[in-house]
Amino acid sequence: MLPPTAASPARRSVRTAAVLAALAALLLQPAGAAAYIGPGAGFAVLGSFAVLFVTMLLAGVSLLAWPFRMAWRALRRRGRTRPLVRRLIILGFDGQDPRITERLMAAGHMPNFTRLAAAGGYRRLRSTFPSITPVAWSTFTTGTNPGKHNIFDFLDRDPRTYLPRLSSTEIGAVDRVLKLGRLRIPLARPAIRLLRKSKPWWTILGEHNIWSTVIRVPITFPPDRFYGAQLGAMCIPDLLGTQGTFMLFSTRPGGEAFQEGGLRLPLARSGSPDSFEGVIEGPENSFLEGSPKMRLPLALALDRSAGRALVSVNGEAATLEPGVLSGWFRLEFRPIAGIKVAGLTRMMLTEMGEHVSLYLSPINIEPAKPAMPISHPGFYSAYLEKKIGPYATLGLAEDTWALNEKVTDDRTFWTQTADIDREREAMLFAALDTHRRGALVTVFDAADRVNHMYWRHTEDGHPAAPDGPDPEHADAIERQYRRNDEIVGRVMARLGEGDALWVLSDHGCTSFRRGVNLNAWLLEHGYLHLKEGADGSAQWLQSVDWSRTRAYAVGLVGVFLNLEGREAHGIVAPGAAAAALKAELKAGLDGLVDEEKAEVAVNEAFDTDLLYRGPYKGNAPDLLIGYNHGYRISWGCAAGVVAGPIFEDNTKAWSGDHIVDPRLVPGIFLANHPIDAADPAIVDLAPTALALFGLRPPPHMDGAPVVDPARFPNV
Amino acid sequence: MKLVNDLLRPLFDLLQAPLAGLPALLGVLLWSIPVGIFALWVFGKTSNQRRIAEVKRRIHAGLFEIRLFNDDLRAILRAQWEILGWVLRYQGLALKPMIFILPPLVLVMAQLHQFYGFRGLAPGDEVQLTVQLPPGTAAGRRPELGLELPPGLRAELGPVWVPELAQASWLLAVEESGAHELRVVVDGTAVTKSLGATDRLLRLSPERPAPTFIGQLEWPSEPPTARRGPVLSISLGYPDGRIGVLGRDFEWRYAWMVVFFVLTMVVALALRKPMGVEL
Repeated sequence: MLPPTAASPARRSVRTAAVLAALAALLLQPAGAAAYIGPGAGFAVLGSFAVLFVTMLLAGVSLLAWPFRMAWRALRRRGRTRPLVRRLIILGFDGQDPRITERLMAAGHMPNFTRLAAAGGYRRLRSTFPSITPVAWSTFTTGTNPGKHNIFDFLDRDPRTYLPRLSSTEIGAVDRVLKLGRLRIPLARPAIRLLRKSKPWWTILGEHNIWSTVIRVPITFPPDRFYGAQLGAMCIPDLLGTQGTFMLFSTRPGGEAFQEGGLRLPLARSGSPDSFEGVIEGPENSFLEGSPKMRLPLALALDRSAGRALVSVNGEAATLEPGVLSGWFRLEFRPIAGIKVAGLTRMMLTEMGEHVSLYLSPINIEPAKPAMPISHPGFYSAYLEKKIGPYATLGLAEDTWALNEKVTDDRTFWTQTADIDREREAMLFAALDTHRRGALVTVFDAADRVNHMYWRHTEDGHPAAPDGPDPEHADAIERQYRRNDEIVGRVMARLGEGDALWVLSDHGCTSFRRGVNLNAWLLEHGYLHLKEGADGSAQWLQSVDWSRTRAYAVGLVGVFLNLEGREAHGIVAPGAAAAALKAELKAGLDGLVDEEKAEVAVNEAFDTDLLYRGPYKGNAPDLLIGYNHGYRISWGCAAGVVAGPIFEDNTKAWSGDHIVDPRLVPGIFLANHPIDAADPAIVDLAPTALALFGLRPPPHMDGAPVVDPARFPNV
Repeated sequence: MKLVNDLLRPLFDLLQAPLAGLPALLGVLLWSIPVGIFALWVFGKTSNQRRIAEVKRRIHAGLFEIRLFNDDLRAILRAQWEILGWVLRYQGLALKPMIFILPPLVLVMAQLHQFYGFRGLAPGDEVQLTVQLPPGTAAGRRPELGLELPPGLRAELGPVWVPELAQASWLLAVEESGAHELRVVVDGTAVTKSLGATDRLLRLSPERPAPTFIGQLEWPSEPPTARRGPVLSISLGYPDGRIGVLGRDFEWRYAWMVVFFVLTMVVALALRKPMGVEL
């Protein structure tokens, strides 16, 4: 699409004259014909009246119902509050590292952060154990330790099968189905359950009639129901039901399956040498017996002389240029007549020479008509879409997997991340404009994603950048942090009397140069055994002999004991035997050294019995591994592979991480008011938010306010 | 204008011929389909589709905003104010395509009005024939007026001369169906006028127009009268057209237009997605 060009003054005057002439003609035309103004204009006129009518109706109903609603809310309100702030605006920059932030602030590259720190305060923010996004933001949300909110990792394991599963959300199957031949008509919606427990602080605010807008705070799928609006984030799946599956259509024959989150699909010639066709694999069609996948034919026509291609799906077409990401493209699947399941994807031609390849980003759930509950109220996602245009809804929307698999490149990832960041900024300011009282929370993910994917360009000798840092991307992380600074500046410019502003990150980031395969270590030390004849290369621990295995690693952060009565084939007796084994493992892992590099790989293995309090701590891994800088669980171990060396280089683009000893990667916390606590933690922020709205934090919360309420005059 | 009418007249006669025996509603429905498609196509080609989509999005956002912040009166009022602004922009954006759609549609409408706006006469009916002379041409005297009728028509009354209006009128009685042509003679100069006595949806000419642009635009069925001739226009008081909708007959010369308007909108609405047009 070309940008609209400015019309010359001469053309403008011609246009004006034409409009005036047409208006004159309208006024002078015969009476009979004047009744008719054509469908388009007719729609404009009638549609406009309809809109105004509906608006007036809605406003009238709202006005009439307002006193009753207020009375109802007053009746349901749990006591009066004396807020200390008018608005609490919270900007979360996921993963923004304090060391980099402080360096940039000192160098004068983040003037707004510096200004904010000077006006109020700046502290490093203690993260959670483990210091990963779902855990840390769940603690932010609930003001509790993981033992109370039940989120310990991205992944949990099913103790009946030892297979990994998503820790935060459970999507159930529909068990009541009407069978009509091949048709299967579901008689209920599939149950989608948020596994995060405890009560979010915005729910408590809502109980006191204080409105909150919560945008993209991780672990909010399905969304919380409270007095306010929320757009969900991390763990919202793509349309395929996965956490992000890209597609690569290619004329290249064969090719290995992608290790992570991707599908390789054929692109076949159709007719002319420059015409190709493929089939987009959509979600399963639960309306048909056997739930076959829904498919959409895709056609690609190359114009080699112009260096571009036309891609057509669903009767819609877009022009693509090699190496340039398209805008959002709507895909519409039809399971049965009258029902549509829509998603959004972005496309890019990755090659257009002898071979042709086309990349499709994961298919995001369309926010205007979401196939799953991604917001509260349900229309809030549609409202935002109308307000700012189409946007990414996938939990982890930036396609890190495609970059890891070298399907896309650093430049494409930067574009994708920056675009999503701009969408998020638009959401924030749309909310800021309408939000007069209460809390507004928006989390930006770009800093975390950029940390993960560009860290290799910031240090020499990173195994993921064998040719050395790429100068084009060496400052990518700093650029992103400066952009965050600009966002803060723009928000500060809109603050009014009684507005509090917080800027925070849930954790920092460090280098990920070497992966540690804990299962290989457990195998080597006799805690884990393989089945007869197995070599340990099978994924998801399929080669493990559970009848002889005492400990295993699943997920990203810890080690589980194969506990009797908990695991399906548990052999370790609970109690003293389990405690002894845990102590033995801890002793072996504490200070584990990577002999090849002569570096300590594991600072400490933490006994989660001692870390956590609360009813769900039994769901946590038994040991949490605190890696040193430069180390993390290996990719193979994370996929349940036992075979291979204990230590190996990380050669993937995902080259920075924070799944380490949480003491190494604190977050940041800035406020436009003084911060009284010397060593605040993310668990303290929920109680602080409640305190700023004049509420006493409930006893189940583990943190304490980081500011003395006496500093604030009531507003 | 005369040339345009001379070209369009046989074309519309040809297109309407198969529909002449159908109920008026069906005829109007069949005409509305190509017209709706044409108007939609023109709208799509001449409007700023991207901007229209954006403005509609903003209007929807405003409506959602009223629902979302229904506890906040200020937010509701602000959303209403914004919606009003976007509605005005929306109407402004519809202006340009309207300019392109209007000229051809006015021509189509004028032609169709000759078929659907009026009802043909039947044997036994009486109808008033009015001859308009140029103002001032007969000042101070009564012009010589004559009427020559073909078989099947009879003059019941007239001529009645109204000097203030420079008009002469006759009351005619229809005795036989058919396409008749009568002659009005003013001061020795004869001017013809058609009269249709039929129960089919055929072209009727309620007026032989004056040789003006507007006159010919509105009444395209017959050539205009001669410039500087003794007669300005001749009109016949056909009864209003009748159209049956949902078992009810509506008798009003513009009733078909309302139906046509609604049907073209329905056609446009139904086809906007297949044709990829944002309305």
